[in-house]
Amino acid sequence: MARMKFLCDAERCIECNACVTACKNEHEVPWGINRRRVVTIDDGIPGEKSISVACMHCSDAPCAAVCPVDCFYTTDDGVVLHDKDICIGCGYCFYACPFGAPQYPQEGAFGARGKMDKCTFCAGGPEEDNSAIEVEKYGRNRLAEGKLPLCAEMCSTKALLAGDGDIVADLFRSRVVRRGGRPDNWGWETAYKD
Amino acid sequence: MKLLSLMFAALLLSACYEDTDVTLHEAGVYKGSDDKHAMSADERADVLKQRFNQVQTDR
Amino acid sequence: MKLIKRDPAAIISRTSGINRRTFLRGSGIAAGGAAFMSLLPTAMIEKADAAEGGQPAYDEGEISRVHSVCSHCSVGCGVVAEVQNGVWIGQEPSFEHPFNLGSHCAKGASLREHGHGDKRLKYPMKKVNGEWQRMSWEDAIEEIGQKMLDIREAAGPDSVYWLGSAKFSNEQAYLFRKFAALWGSNNVDHQARICHSTTVAGVANTWGYGAMTNSYNDIHNSKAIFIIGANPAEAHPVSLQHIFRGKERGAPVIVVDPRFTRTAAHADQFIRIRSGSDIPFIWGMLWHIFQNGWEDKSFIEQRVYGMDDIRAEVANWTPDKVEDISGAKEADVYQAAKTMSEHRPGTVIWCMGITQHTVGNSNTRALCILQLALGNMGVSGGGTNIFRGHDNVQGATDFGVVSNSLPGYYGLAEEAWQHWARVWDVDLDWIKNRFDQRTYEEIDGKKISPMYTNGITVSRWIDGVLEDKANIDQNDAIKAMVLWGHAPNSQTRGPEMKAAMEKLEMLVIVDPYPTVSAVMNDRTDGVYLLPATTQFETHGSLTSSNRSVQWRHKIIEPLFESLPDHTIMYKFANKFGFENELCKNIQVTGEEPTIEDIAREYNRGMWAVGYTGQTPERLKLQIENLHTFNKTTLRAEGGPCDGEFYGLPWPCWGTAEMKHPGTHIMYDTSVPVAEGGGAFRARFGVEHNGENLLAENSWSADSEIEDGYPEVSAEMIKELGWWDDLTASEKAEADGKNWKTDLSGGIQRVAIKHGLSPAGNAKARAIVWQFPDPVPIHREPLYTNRRDLVEKYPTYEDRRSFYRLPTRYGSIQAQDFSKDFPLIMTSGRLVEYEGGGDETRSNPWLAELQQDMFIEINPADANNAGIKNGEQVWVDGPEGGSIKVMAMVTERVERGVVFMPFHFGGHYQGESLRDKYPDGTAPHVLGESCNVVFTYGYDSVTAMQETKVSLCRVRAA
Repeated sequence: MARMKFLCDAERCIECNACVTACKNEHEVPWGINRRRVVTIDDGIPGEKSISVACMHCSDAPCAAVCPVDCFYTTDDGVVLHDKDICIGCGYCFYACPFGAPQYPQEGAFGARGKMDKCTFCAGGPEEDNSAIEVEKYGRNRLAEGKLPLCAEMCSTKALLAGDGDIVADLFRSRVVRRGGRPDNWGWETAYKD
Repeated sequence: MKLLSLMFAALLLSACYEDTDVTLHEAGVYKGSDDKHAMSADERADVLKQRFNQVQTDR
Repeated sequence: MKLIKRDPAAIISRTSGINRRTFLRGSGIAAGGAAFMSLLPTAMIEKADAAEGGQPAYDEGEISRVHSVCSHCSVGCGVVAEVQNGVWIGQEPSFEHPFNLGSHCAKGASLREHGHGDKRLKYPMKKVNGEWQRMSWEDAIEEIGQKMLDIREAAGPDSVYWLGSAKFSNEQAYLFRKFAALWGSNNVDHQARICHSTTVAGVANTWGYGAMTNSYNDIHNSKAIFIIGANPAEAHPVSLQHIFRGKERGAPVIVVDPRFTRTAAHADQFIRIRSGSDIPFIWGMLWHIFQNGWEDKSFIEQRVYGMDDIRAEVANWTPDKVEDISGAKEADVYQAAKTMSEHRPGTVIWCMGITQHTVGNSNTRALCILQLALGNMGVSGGGTNIFRGHDNVQGATDFGVVSNSLPGYYGLAEEAWQHWARVWDVDLDWIKNRFDQRTYEEIDGKKISPMYTNGITVSRWIDGVLEDKANIDQNDAIKAMVLWGHAPNSQTRGPEMKAAMEKLEMLVIVDPYPTVSAVMNDRTDGVYLLPATTQFETHGSLTSSNRSVQWRHKIIEPLFESLPDHTIMYKFANKFGFENELCKNIQVTGEEPTIEDIAREYNRGMWAVGYTGQTPERLKLQIENLHTFNKTTLRAEGGPCDGEFYGLPWPCWGTAEMKHPGTHIMYDTSVPVAEGGGAFRARFGVEHNGENLLAENSWSADSEIEDGYPEVSAEMIKELGWWDDLTASEKAEADGKNWKTDLSGGIQRVAIKHGLSPAGNAKARAIVWQFPDPVPIHREPLYTNRRDLVEKYPTYEDRRSFYRLPTRYGSIQAQDFSKDFPLIMTSGRLVEYEGGGDETRSNPWLAELQQDMFIEINPADANNAGIKNGEQVWVDGPEGGSIKVMAMVTERVERGVVFMPFHFGGHYQGESLRDKYPDGTAPHVLGESCNVVFTYGYDSVTAMQETKVSLCRVRAA
């Protein structure tokens, strides 16, 4: 059985934000909600690396584990989704998530936290596939159309990969082998210092 | 008078309607809507593998 | 997650008769079909019928997939748009497209927002008593046109400046240049002037054409990648895909820049240099190359003229001098030189860091010379891969939207006018009468009319307004300015621009968005906004940086009352009375000239650049067969386009019947010309100072002349005995002409048949004797803080007349600003925005990512000025401008250097101009324009502005 995963190749990520914008475009994500964002470490100095982060669709999802109303479920291909009708917007999944994937819209005069929203691996949610209501609540369902998440499909350098974990790993492995011997690989400088 | 107060009491009590159609929470059990898919997971895996190779590889 | 324009009736409700199970049972049968259909090539119509269940059911109607090309940068990424009921509902990756393979950057991924049109200009407007008023197109054209005719009457045609755009399609660009010529002025220009004009001048004068010689995809084959003065990770993100492919095959990446850019973060070697010291650095590399004998001697002997003079100059640039002047250490320069020499073929990439200087033309030539010395030209993996800017700046340049040439780089001499008058089928004398009949300039003692003199450049238009008219080489100052698809905040000297805008009699802005032009001045009247469409609401071709021509299909109808640029041009031509001359052989439907007819017209005339073979039919066929093109060689393997290069990159010689495949790698003599090979152009004569300028012992494969030869003319063909190879009709037309002026194409056809390149087979020249500096030499920037170097490396002398205006050099450099303005100031790009920025800052998806204008400042300088990260600071420039921006304290810039992006606008010297925008059009994000503090300084050959080095001071707000 395929298990869907993301992998962002930090050697190729150039912080172009195509993934962030593709997601916004495809799902009409409003201002303030960041389903995906790019994180840069050591900005501006040698060793600068960027990586694109969204929901990692954990096999043992902490968000699902802590949800007081159990609104999460995992699909057959390993995508972690939730039902916005059941969600009470408590924010506990945000506490639990190591990646900060859950996002909340600001609603109302008192800035009350609304229903949680997060990356769906472009797999929509518990509504009829590709119905208007699914699009409105969860965004487009690309998996039902036989396509992969748009963030990965539009990544400018093919740094962000999304698909079956095994296939993604194969591709990444072949890249590592092709790059082999270059100082890009972590630890190389330590092992072979001049 | 008694009839009036009885009717008034009944009126007040009408607010005590309770909808029995409530979702009871059971720990660890998902009670949300079903998410059915047209393709089975295996079919989808094949389609998506092909898609991955077409779109995300260096060609 | 609401999608716009949803039809509520289409929402399938839970209580309707259809339940999910029955719906999905139906769709299960066609599920495989749905997935399969989504993998088919583009431009397919798919039915979205709920009963079939094969398509998304969230709305009714067919979903069509339309193929276009991104309208942002010159990579030319393919775009697939999903359109339903005339609404642009989605974007899909164009994964078969050879340039991007489906990828985009943030801007490409956000294109659909153009179809939302939240902040677009909706209808023509004019400013009346300080308020924006709506008007109709008829009234607008009438009022503006009449005012222009009045100005023409009173002051002459040169007093209206037609500033065009790099965002025109090829057909629009060509029509615009023709329009300006028929109006009667050479005061026409576009963004290339302030972007790569020095590249075109420097590179074309070295070996014939001034464009990218290989391609982005060809970088897969590079053994070394040298990037100087460029930040493609932010300016051309998808090009990094190709650079990484090359890098992952083992090519070392060297980045040279004053700033540790995002590109530098992926480099194997990063060398920091002082802004404006590019020539010392490059000569420093060549010093090591010559010293160690690493140059390609046979290549130089066969195909390069003048390298000895370069050797003499380079001998001066010893490592200690290079370190003193550029800051680059000997070991680093040596390493870079060694890497380039040991990893051949290597490619050299540059952008604004090299071009935007007073010595830009010398900088570009120095890099050409570097590649010539290494023998890296005309080979796959080598070349000078110049990354152009806007999506069609290459096309707009090729089609002559410049003040110093007609389309096709023919220039402005009598022969050029004769040629184009023939192609346009317009009487040359009639055109001559359209121009100002007086004379102002002299060449060789003879007075010539403004028809033959270079017009004012976009970088200097403000001087064309503000300068005393006695000093301008035309009748009067500029009275009316048309900013057509061009932002103002990408040019320097903001406060003076404000003054110029206020002095004009009329300011006309033609753009999908209001641009900063609408708000940066304090005019209360005489400003017009005309809504143009984006390139997604029309169709036509564009030329990406690698000279490939791509066809765009129309995605949606024009939004609101916007009109395509060519329709607006026609409307003006109508008002001015020359619409028949403009569209003599172009069919006009209503008021819209037919794009395909315009293409066919330039196919009949663009012989000198090789835009004759790219007909609409051939281009459209390629778009339908993207999957057949090899992604590294760009050659179609099988399919209807078999053998053609993607985009038929110019020069695509001869008529379409000849089926030339286009030229992927320029100047490649190992391939026959008929299959895309070529040689350095014999553009500069046959000999100079007694030395042979033609190639020696080098010729194209299958060439019947095994030696160098000049440009091919009818005479030459007769002498060679091939005249009878021409058909009778070709002979009739070609007699007495040459490869550039023969409208039949016979000369080119026969030349190529015999293996000759129509442009000749010559040496590239390392010395350009017509330039102010024949051998590139270092000159300090106008605003420099190395006062000790000014005496030895001074800038040029002031000029009385340059592109019609007095231009200062030495008189500015003579003043010492370095005490009061100690920091070197440089500017550049951000990945989320583009150009002047109104278009991209109006896109909420992009605007959210960069919400504040900022200045990058080193921690040491920040501490000296008492500034903390995130605080507001004032940046003061030496010419009087001041802006208030946020400080970003970072080590990207070294001590003494600050950096600002130029995409912001809408604040002026601390004040927000949001209220001055017409209702609903103010971009989400506003900021100060850095060009308010950038300063005077113009390239000595093209008048390019010096935006990469100036001085400033920063103080806490």
